[in-house]
Amino acid sequence: MENLDKYFDPKGPFAALRVSQMKRSWKQSNRRELNWWENTYLPMLISGIYLTSKHFFYNVTFHILHLFGIAKGTKGAVTYQYPEMPRPLSSRLRTRHRLTKREDGSPRCVACMMCETVCPARCIEITAAEHPDPNIEKYPSEFILDLGKCVYCGFCVEVCPEDAIRMDTGNLKIAEYSRDSMIYDKKRLMEE
Amino acid sequence: MPNLTIDGKQVEVPAGTTIIQAADKLGIDIPRYCYHPALPVSGNCRICMVEVEKQPKLQIACYTPVADGMVVKTNSPKVLEVRKTVLEFLLVNHPVDCPVCDQAGECKLQDYYMEHGQYDSRLSEVKVKKEKKAFSIGPTVMLDQERCILCTRCVRFADTITKTSEFGVFSRGDHSQLDVYPGKKLDNSYSGNVVDICPVGALTDTDFRFKCRVWYLAQTKSVCPGCSMGCNITVEWDKMRPHQHKKARVMRLKPRLNPEVNDYWICDKGRYNYRFIDENRIQHPQLKDALISWDQAAGIVAQSIKLLQDAKQTNRIGVLASAQLTNEDLFVIRKFFKETLKGAQLDFKVPEKPGDSDDFLIKADKNPNTAGAVNILQADADVQQIVARAKAGEIDILYVFGHDLVKLFGKETVAQIAKKVKLFVYQGSNVNETCGYAHLNLPSSVYAEKEGTFTNCQNKVQRIWPAFLPLGESKGDWEIIALLSAKLGTPLAYQHSQEIFKDIAATIPSFSEMTYEKISDKGMILKS
Amino acid sequence: MNDLLIKFILSAGTLFIMFNIAGLLTWVERKQSAVMQDRIGANRASIFGMKAMGMFHALADVLKMLSKEEFIPEGANKFLFNIAPYLSVTFALVGFAAIPIGGELVLNGHSIQLQAANLNIALIFIFAMMSMGVYGVVLAGFSSNNNYAFLGGMRGAAQMIAYEITMGAAIMGVIMVFNTIDMQALDRAQGAYMLGGWLPKWGIFVQPLSFLLFFTAATAETKRTPFDLPEGESEIIGYFVEYSGMKFGMFFLADLVETVLVAALMATLFFGGWQVPYLHADGFYFPWGGHMAMANLPVVILGVLSFFFKVALFIWFLMAVRWTLPRFRYDQLMNLGWKILLPISLINIAVTAVVITLLGR
Repeated sequence: MENLDKYFDPKGPFAALRVSQMKRSWKQSNRRELNWWENTYLPMLISGIYLTSKHFFYNVTFHILHLFGIAKGTKGAVTYQYPEMPRPLSSRLRTRHRLTKREDGSPRCVACMMCETVCPARCIEITAAEHPDPNIEKYPSEFILDLGKCVYCGFCVEVCPEDAIRMDTGNLKIAEYSRDSMIYDKKRLMEE
Repeated sequence: MPNLTIDGKQVEVPAGTTIIQAADKLGIDIPRYCYHPALPVSGNCRICMVEVEKQPKLQIACYTPVADGMVVKTNSPKVLEVRKTVLEFLLVNHPVDCPVCDQAGECKLQDYYMEHGQYDSRLSEVKVKKEKKAFSIGPTVMLDQERCILCTRCVRFADTITKTSEFGVFSRGDHSQLDVYPGKKLDNSYSGNVVDICPVGALTDTDFRFKCRVWYLAQTKSVCPGCSMGCNITVEWDKMRPHQHKKARVMRLKPRLNPEVNDYWICDKGRYNYRFIDENRIQHPQLKDALISWDQAAGIVAQSIKLLQDAKQTNRIGVLASAQLTNEDLFVIRKFFKETLKGAQLDFKVPEKPGDSDDFLIKADKNPNTAGAVNILQADADVQQIVARAKAGEIDILYVFGHDLVKLFGKETVAQIAKKVKLFVYQGSNVNETCGYAHLNLPSSVYAEKEGTFTNCQNKVQRIWPAFLPLGESKGDWEIIALLSAKLGTPLAYQHSQEIFKDIAATIPSFSEMTYEKISDKGMILKS
Repeated sequence: MNDLLIKFILSAGTLFIMFNIAGLLTWVERKQSAVMQDRIGANRASIFGMKAMGMFHALADVLKMLSKEEFIPEGANKFLFNIAPYLSVTFALVGFAAIPIGGELVLNGHSIQLQAANLNIALIFIFAMMSMGVYGVVLAGFSSNNNYAFLGGMRGAAQMIAYEITMGAAIMGVIMVFNTIDMQALDRAQGAYMLGGWLPKWGIFVQPLSFLLFFTAATAETKRTPFDLPEGESEIIGYFVEYSGMKFGMFFLADLVETVLVAALMATLFFGGWQVPYLHADGFYFPWGGHMAMANLPVVILGVLSFFFKVALFIWFLMAVRWTLPRFRYDQLMNLGWKILLPISLINIAVTAVVITLLGR
């Protein structure tokens, strides 16, 4: 309770902080009154209509011209037509994970559990096993990644010492009909 | 006694002490690889170099005896520079395969590199590869020669502690490598300890290999229940990642330093004696084949006892307590069966064959709490007699704590007892053959789920701590007895094992003046 | 008999045209909003590969609505619940009866007024029907046995009352200037010219303030953004939250029909209805002295086209406003209606009365 008293003391160390807080809340609750002209809503209405109409007429002109095969070079401003025309992805975009492979097709992963440890969503579950080749030693007998839990932070990729997990498939269509099918095992993660 | 100064702190130590021991006494940490307090000094790793005033060169702290008026600096720029260089030298041929190494997370190379190294590699040559990478050198230990920094701790352990001398360093220069002597295998009863003393990942535990990363483990102090030595251990367990180890909780046991009991060591039997904690457990109270609730189970026992009580025939109750139980459990058993139910036949000394033993840590008595049972139970009956009476039909309720009677007395005897006795209760943590004959099975928790004390063969009372909650519906042994007592209308006033221990200290003279706080993690000797 | 047939053809034609326009508006609404927002808009529904710029979406919508389950919530008043959407649509449609879509057509010496119901109190009739429309909203909200629907209905009632008054007061100026409440007569009166014959004497030029007030109030009457508080799609869903299938479709249709009605009213009251500038009954008389003689039929057709052109323009404008402005807050809505629009419209009446008296018409 003493701490609170200190906080509310007008001469105390928190006085300046409190004043700034009060000023801010006063600003929020006392926004500027609209003047008479603004109160008619006309200026904003006119500027708004002007903007939308500008777009409308620009686009409609070119769409109509295109119908007659004229001015094909100039595009009407349109968004990406998604399913047919996917937006180009940035090369740094984090998309669905994949496990990289060795030359013989087995996963590069050595089951060091770094990704499992760093994963904030706890969506990676690795089970390690002894590899027959003593120079590889350890490999994941199971590698389960639950995309339903994944938050796409990319920490697993950052932390991997073997470059065994990447998020560069460019695959964003991970929607499924059940939660179980969001769980990817080693085999699914190694398909491109 | 020489008086010296380390990093500005004065300390007085007996003559012949080395600088590193004096520093340890002050709590100043000097890095070390080859030095181990329980082993002879070798002085080959050179990482413990410290600056001693008025001496032109740096000295290794593990082999330099202190002198009066010595001024030692462990953190001067010169020392730090040398440490970095030594680390660079040790890491020249180290493969740095930390991702697959089980030691990662508790590796001294990693720790000291992060603390004192942090250099950029200057190595342009190819690392020298040793002959074999990971291979088994015995039933419990795997060796990886590449990772070895040749500190020879394991060699000295095998030479001086077990005196079996399996290890040797072969070849010379950067081709020198650690191995077992040709034709020999690391196969002694203390072999697991070389894994603990290895500062790097050269020697790893076959049992623990790839089971779990060490940073997932939680530690709980405990005492080994394997024999009456009562070695101090740490239970290392993990509950967050059950997929990695088939839902088992305990991953490994590690010895815990107690100079008066087990020093730094533990036998292999004790080290790998943890699977019963998660496997083969009784998880529900069971009447023949039917799962029942605790309330029903306690009701059944209480009803049978009540009948005998009303007929004043409490001497027709036979109780086989166990030296596997804690002092607290035994005290509550005594209180219930000897004081509440006057006349019940109670003993714990079952006729077990003595196990193997040696003159170091392994004792023939395989019960952790025999001394405690003798002191607390003060049994006046005899197990053989109880069993004989049960066989003759002179016992109506037989209450067995964890003993496998089939192993001790044979199948026929137990089958006969089960027929003659009206209520045959088995209270234990794990399934054994006796369970099949018992009428009522009550699940109790194992030592890693309990709080309490054990008394070892040196009459030392030592505490155990609960690591996690009991598996399934199992309960602590004294809690089950308290439940029965409450069902009978004579509730015991215990909520916590500490309250029981207070009662023990108050009523049993050899335990007088003991408290949990005083026992702490080092133990206390019983009063004679 | 002949008269009756003509009346029948006229009313059926008007109904047909208005229904079609309203149906087409679903497409217009989607396409226009898309183009305004740099999108393409609905373009998927196709019949034999023909897409007709997404026009079939309207058809698909109707099919969907018809084939959906009619759901009546438990505890709802079934009679009122069922009748509410019909009330909404009917009153919105009946208003069109009094809207003149063209001038006087002379066929075989027979004079026909292109107006389904040639009422001398047409304006009052239309207003009466428009205010009846609120019953659909209130009843739907009241009978659904749903708090949100009820809230929507209440909001609708409050909003309708607030803006109905302004709307009535706003057109008083026009009525005073043209001295009639017969719509056909109003249109004909707007055929006069001011400023030496250069400027047509349309409502917008003699009563500009009145037009602004009427436009705002009429937009509010259609219950569309920025006045869509009875619906409030993002918060309470509104009075039709419990409706499904074609009954919901009827509310939707009523909404669009009202938009057309409001656009037609604005065209008629303020933009001369079927009047074409400088076009008289026998041809064009240009202010600079030119004359182009025309027969009755082309003059009437030009008039009808002119009316529908004006209606289309207003529909476009109403849509543009709907897709430009965000929704008003409830207190803003009420302030605007009661504290700003109503006083201004009353002042407008007073000033108009004074000016008319001074000019001594």
